[in-house]
Amino acid sequence: MNSANRFTPYVFLAPAAIIMAIALLYPLGYMIFGSFRDWNPSQTIGESEFVGLANYITLFHDPAFRESLAVTLTFAASVVFAELFIGVGLALLLDREIRGMSVLRTLFILPMMIAPVVVGLMWRFMYHPTVGTFNKWLETFGFEGVDWLGAHALFSVIVADIWQWTPFIFILSLAALQSLPRSALEAARIDGATGWQQIWHIKLPLMMPVLIVTGLLRLIDAFKVLEVILVMTEGGPGLSTEILALRISRTATEFRELGVAAAMSNYLLILLFILTVSMFAITKIQEMRSARMSRQIQQDA
Amino acid sequence: MQNKRPNPAFYALLIALIFMAVGPITLMMANSFKLDVDIIGGTSGLLFMPTIRNYETALCDVLWYEPAHLDYCSIKFGGAFINSLIIALVSTALTLVIGCMAAYALVRFRFMGRDTVSLTTLMVRMVPAAVLLVPVFGLWNNEFCLDKEGLIGGAIRDTFGGRGDVCLAGTHSGIILIYVAMNLPFVIWILQSFIVQVPRSLEEAARVDGASPFQVFFKVVLPLIKPGLAAAAIFTFRIAWNEYLLASALSDRNTKTVPILIVNNTSEFNVEWGVIMATGMLLAIPPIIFTLFASRQIITGMTAGAVKG
Amino acid sequence: MHSVLKTTLVGAVFSTALGAGAFANPYEAYDGTTLIVNFPAHPHYEAVVQVLPQFTEETGIEVEVDMLPYLKMRERQTLELTQDEGEYDLISYVVFSKADYIFADQLENLAKYFMNPKLSDPTYDAKDLIDGYVQNIGVAGGTKGYLPGPTGSLFGLPQGSETSVLMYRKDIFEKHGIDVPQNYDQLLEVACQIPEVEPGMGGMASRAASGHQASHAFLLHLAPLGGRVFDDNWNPVINSEEGVAAANALKTIVDCGPKGAMSFGPSEAANSFSNGESAMFMDSIAFAPGFEDPTRSKVAGNVGYALHPEGVRRGSQTGGFGIAIPKNAEHKEAAFLLAQWLTSKRGDKLIAMAGGNPSRFSTYADAEVQAKYPFAETFGEALKYADPDWRPIIPTWGKINADIGTTMSKVLTEGLDPKEALDGVAERSRAIMEEAGYYTWQ
Repeated sequence: MNSANRFTPYVFLAPAAIIMAIALLYPLGYMIFGSFRDWNPSQTIGESEFVGLANYITLFHDPAFRESLAVTLTFAASVVFAELFIGVGLALLLDREIRGMSVLRTLFILPMMIAPVVVGLMWRFMYHPTVGTFNKWLETFGFEGVDWLGAHALFSVIVADIWQWTPFIFILSLAALQSLPRSALEAARIDGATGWQQIWHIKLPLMMPVLIVTGLLRLIDAFKVLEVILVMTEGGPGLSTEILALRISRTATEFRELGVAAAMSNYLLILLFILTVSMFAITKIQEMRSARMSRQIQQDA
Repeated sequence: MQNKRPNPAFYALLIALIFMAVGPITLMMANSFKLDVDIIGGTSGLLFMPTIRNYETALCDVLWYEPAHLDYCSIKFGGAFINSLIIALVSTALTLVIGCMAAYALVRFRFMGRDTVSLTTLMVRMVPAAVLLVPVFGLWNNEFCLDKEGLIGGAIRDTFGGRGDVCLAGTHSGIILIYVAMNLPFVIWILQSFIVQVPRSLEEAARVDGASPFQVFFKVVLPLIKPGLAAAAIFTFRIAWNEYLLASALSDRNTKTVPILIVNNTSEFNVEWGVIMATGMLLAIPPIIFTLFASRQIITGMTAGAVKG
Repeated sequence: MHSVLKTTLVGAVFSTALGAGAFANPYEAYDGTTLIVNFPAHPHYEAVVQVLPQFTEETGIEVEVDMLPYLKMRERQTLELTQDEGEYDLISYVVFSKADYIFADQLENLAKYFMNPKLSDPTYDAKDLIDGYVQNIGVAGGTKGYLPGPTGSLFGLPQGSETSVLMYRKDIFEKHGIDVPQNYDQLLEVACQIPEVEPGMGGMASRAASGHQASHAFLLHLAPLGGRVFDDNWNPVINSEEGVAAANALKTIVDCGPKGAMSFGPSEAANSFSNGESAMFMDSIAFAPGFEDPTRSKVAGNVGYALHPEGVRRGSQTGGFGIAIPKNAEHKEAAFLLAQWLTSKRGDKLIAMAGGNPSRFSTYADAEVQAKYPFAETFGEALKYADPDWRPIIPTWGKINADIGTTMSKVLTEGLDPKEALDGVAERSRAIMEEAGYYTWQ
């Protein structure tokens, strides 16, 4: 009999491990190494000069980097809150038997599937000061046009992201909502709870675990956004929409400072690391709590 | 509340939502059939003479005839489309096979280092493409190279031509490698939740019949997790198809993908809206088709990805 | 009789053979070579690629063009030029890349090609090339290191030379009896007068988008208003009175400009003008052929062209591109032949007729070119005032340029005080220059 020996799992794992080691872990190590060097694109890393923590310190005192960090945090926090609010709200509103719900869901996930580059393009056009859709509408109704990608660039960029990613939260919270124990809702209705009370005291608390995870996933993804903003504003005006990902790419290519870009990447990585760890911690705590609860229920019974 | 007939406001909301979701896409499609004069001049709405001129301009390198309005074919969309296709398909296939095997190992076997592997996989999932930009640029261009005097490097230069050392940068393989690596953590993660659901008894039965672990994996497990594979495939394809940043750092003039082409054409002197919208539409069509035909798998995949935490 | 005929015949045959020998095709040795060239996506180069098939037909040298947006092009070149063997045989470069490339010893010195009798065309007439451009784009090693001077030498040839001119709507100016601005006071006055007399129309369309564009727009006014980024000892003087005046001028122009002006790049600004949303546009001459093309512009035929208004001095920008041969190129000699062909009298005129910017005085004076492009004469005049030092072309410029660009954008959008903003730029620039060793000798 061809039974599994103890090497089998390693054989299954090997291709993935090798590829991730070569193309993810090694590059990350290389980047950390590079972040301590004064390194420009015309040099190989060996030719660059070791500068210790200089890149990190420069960045720490660099107002442009700080502003970019602030923009990134504002962007990420705003989109996640807005998307959670709208997405969950819509899920609560639309949680009922409708014919053609699957068609609806299909239409809603379209924005997520389209290339960010194309999304950026569509919105850049719609926001265009003179030929854009929004200003044309405004003018038809006799209002002044708004300088969407000028004075209100960050807001406009946030709106575009909300458009693209709210469906993600909507669909996940709808799934969570529909898998809630019907008995609890039944009981509440029999007790005469109003719609609002049901939402506040039963539905939302029960959905909370899924919502937290979804929110954190979106938060991590919000730090990865780049193409949409690149196409819409290229980070401007000023630094008002220059998120960190964009700043890294500009530092590397336009300012030709690979070392500084690497240090910036590291800052971003640390930030995301903290978020990921907290996501783990939250899920672990939840698992433990529900395990304890079910144990209690068993003991009670 | 659930028993009441939905009121008109409810339907109004639905229609508004559909309009918001699909509106921008429809607008882009409409504009891709307009002349620039009409787009800018503002014959708004749907009253216009549709023209395929923008598509002719975009696709001029693959058309069998020469469009009358063009003197010179500057947008090589056809070539970029083929590059995108090669890169997205190959990297999706590789990611799935490799990721699936790894997920299987993580779910079904207890072995030393399992927790480390599992944790590392989860951690690297958060790494943004922008963070990989600097190291990948440096490595792919300078370190991951074969000497052109060497055996393999020399053979490649003799066969395919080109100059200098043979490096990963500028090749399809280089872009595919980084896409596979970037997508693996996600695919492993999502497929684990599907493999867990495969009844062990089926595998035991196959093994009793004398199947090797690999036969069990390919003949028993894989067919059972098809929905999961479909979901993972769509997500991987989507990222590989849509990615811009790394591709733009790694590709050269022969390996440009469509997103690069689009970005290159937006930031310049002459924004030809019609043509850009047409290229945008062409790039968006494959994902749109996937969505229309496989929305259920996409939603399954999304839920599996998120719920597992 | 017979023999006479025979001799004549032989003579004729002989002389034909001789003639063929004398006019031996200098391109013959390179027949079938494929050159890979890197050009920017830019109106001028769109004209160039249209004449390339003719070059191939005449010489048998194939040309494959890799066209990229110009900032992207620079990134690509940075990478290609550092390899031992590069892909590109001929590159087009932005003026401010010149310093980087030459400093890193990545471009071929052209002297040895012009000396080579097998390559150098005796009818080339280098004196006819617009001197300012050859100097600014091609020569380095003279004054301040990057400018031409007694110690300089030639590394590139101008291809797509640009300067700034004022383009204005003749019809609008006539309608309201406005005179064409000659100096900056008049320019700013007219810029803000237009929106009053012509509601909905912006005064002047200008680049202003964050980054390179805003910096470009600022520097465009800095030179004529008498300012400089650095003094002769590399001390930043961008925060001088002249600097503040230039920043204020830009702010006035943007404030009185068309809607959304703050986020304009060159294409948006040009579109605004060609759509009739702005009455003036002051930018590179490269845009002019587009304005005269009725399929792309609503204002064709109504555009007037004037010199860049005078501040305390005349000083229009020198911009545009040059072509050079990378040190790591494969087919350097064939690349030189292409460069020479493109900048020859014939090549230059062909490109001009296809809508490009000539690099030769004779092309600007050409009757056919003037007939097709009414602005050619003004441009020829404007080129005389082009200021090669309107922005420093030193290796640290990329970083300083980006800083000026984002800071200027803040002045325009967030109401940052110009003086304060420029003080900041000066301080940061000094640190950058210090680090790069520009104060070593002080």
